[in-house]
Amino acid sequence: MDILLQQILNGLSIASVITLIAVGVTLIFGLTGIINFAHGEFLMVGSIVTWLAVSNGLPFPVALILGVLAVALMGFVLERAIFRFTLERPTNGFIVSLGLIVVLQHIVILFWNANQKSIPRPLTTVWEVGGVRIASVRVMVILMTIAVVAMTYVMITRSRYGRALRASVEDRDTAALMGIPVRRYITGVFVLGSALAGLGGGLLIALFPITPFTGGTMVMKGFAVALIGGLGNLTGAVAAGLILGIVEGFSAGYGFSEWTDAYSFGLMILVLLFRPHGLFGGTSGPKMA
Amino acid sequence: MIKFASPLRALIPVLVVLLLLALVPLMSPSNRFLSLAISAGINIIALYGLSVLFGQTGILSMGHAALVGVGAYTAALLARDFDIGFWGSIPVAGVMAAIVAAVIGIPSLRVSGHHFVIMTFAFGQLLTIILTNGGEYTGAATGLDMQQPVTMFGIALDPLERFYLLVIAFVTISAVASWAIINSSYGRTLRAIRENEKLAAALGINVGRHKIGAFIVSGVFAGVSGVLLAYFLRHISPGQFASFPSIYLALMVMIGGARLLLGPLAGGILVSFLPEVLNLDPVQSRILYGVCLIAVILFLPNGLIAGIADGWAWLVKVSKRAQASGDAREATR
Repeated sequence: MDILLQQILNGLSIASVITLIAVGVTLIFGLTGIINFAHGEFLMVGSIVTWLAVSNGLPFPVALILGVLAVALMGFVLERAIFRFTLERPTNGFIVSLGLIVVLQHIVILFWNANQKSIPRPLTTVWEVGGVRIASVRVMVILMTIAVVAMTYVMITRSRYGRALRASVEDRDTAALMGIPVRRYITGVFVLGSALAGLGGGLLIALFPITPFTGGTMVMKGFAVALIGGLGNLTGAVAAGLILGIVEGFSAGYGFSEWTDAYSFGLMILVLLFRPHGLFGGTSGPKMA
Repeated sequence: MIKFASPLRALIPVLVVLLLLALVPLMSPSNRFLSLAISAGINIIALYGLSVLFGQTGILSMGHAALVGVGAYTAALLARDFDIGFWGSIPVAGVMAAIVAAVIGIPSLRVSGHHFVIMTFAFGQLLTIILTNGGEYTGAATGLDMQQPVTMFGIALDPLERFYLLVIAFVTISAVASWAIINSSYGRTLRAIRENEKLAAALGINVGRHKIGAFIVSGVFAGVSGVLLAYFLRHISPGQFASFPSIYLALMVMIGGARLLLGPLAGGILVSFLPEVLNLDPVQSRILYGVCLIAVILFLPNGLIAGIADGWAWLVKVSKRAQASGDAREATR
């Protein structure tokens, strides 16, 4: 029972980072139609910026904010410079993002080599509750994720901007005629999703050491979760992220760790086959001309 | 765009280039050059398959290296467990890769459009994980070794020059095969699907079955290239068939352009030799690949060769116009 609780807790903290990526993916893919597989590399860049800042003596919270800002800025530049030209043909955007994966990974390797990078844990307290060791850093990651995802949820579903955004997903032309600056919303969503990836990266390096290749597996999980939950469906992404994180936590805890990466692929393939709109329903991407 | 008056006109330049390439060993090139050329050639075989899929049908596979891997592992396992050599593995590997392509393709085509690309990518990753976790049978992460020599009529083909000629022969066969497919009624059907899927379906073309068919055909090419790869490298491991090699193949087909018969040849050679010519280390060359891929997609969506052809046609037009206006000025004077 102790092991079970322990695995659930560990799974939850991994699930948090996956959920942050998946929320970014589900917003970007589901609402703008951009298939950005380099999203995992955005996360990795967030980790690297956080690592650089902490290594240079900055406190972790400042480093985390720097990471988020840096990735948001990167997202803005890349959307303006590259992805907006691929809006009409999503497959091209996907291929471009694969090129970006290679570029970002190897730029990081070029400057900071391919070795593992880690920072000292920002919170070192460990609570013992009934035989279960609760690391405060994991709790921090979980709480921050809940807060940020809740904020995003309110923004998308309750605010004026969120409504305008959903309108422009439903029907781009009509939304534009109603005076909604659709293109600017697309950039906004892309930057928001990038910032979430940056946050995920900063939190990930607080939990585990990372390498320049961490993004590759994380993005597949993010896409798997986004597709399983239904594109553009925040609740679905959170639920699917929890499921995947806990399944992975369990399988790692009970000795099937070499298959953890396969679950996301397998699950995603199954869901795409039998429920192409995800378990919880989604937009399946904006309607393309 | 270049219009081909006769289908033969498309084949001749390719055959001439390949003939010239077959003469390269006469110039006693270095071993490094030959190895690079061989791996380029092996990629080109897979590219011809990919060009049928992408160039004619318009669907792209981002997990194609996995199908090459199926071919390579088939060859290695046949050699180890059944003592079947190079020539025996070629048809078996082709069939195996075709079966795997069908297994991936049939369910993947239930999902439409850009989801298909994601599916191929996911399947490619899944296959790498399966190979890594295959234990003794697939040699896990370290992979498998090959010992069998390649012979033909009692002549050992293992020396680099001979293996180079063997690869050139296979490239020629795949170029001709892909040319034959493109110019058959089947190729026309595929192009009809590419241009307008709904119209094609309305004309009674079974769109789904033809898409799967094109994917299977491209799988056969990939399987054969996998056998050559296994016998060339003498050691295969799952990492060689993971996501980066798939991106690499897509980059080659994008740079060369998939619709022209010369495209795969040009793409394969350019991408393989560019880092060597520019003297880049692996990290830098991968950055260059990524940048090239993005640039090609954004600026030359039909590939470099078609881009050059378009540019040339534009230049000719401009110079003609300049000449014409010059003539006009002469006349008014």
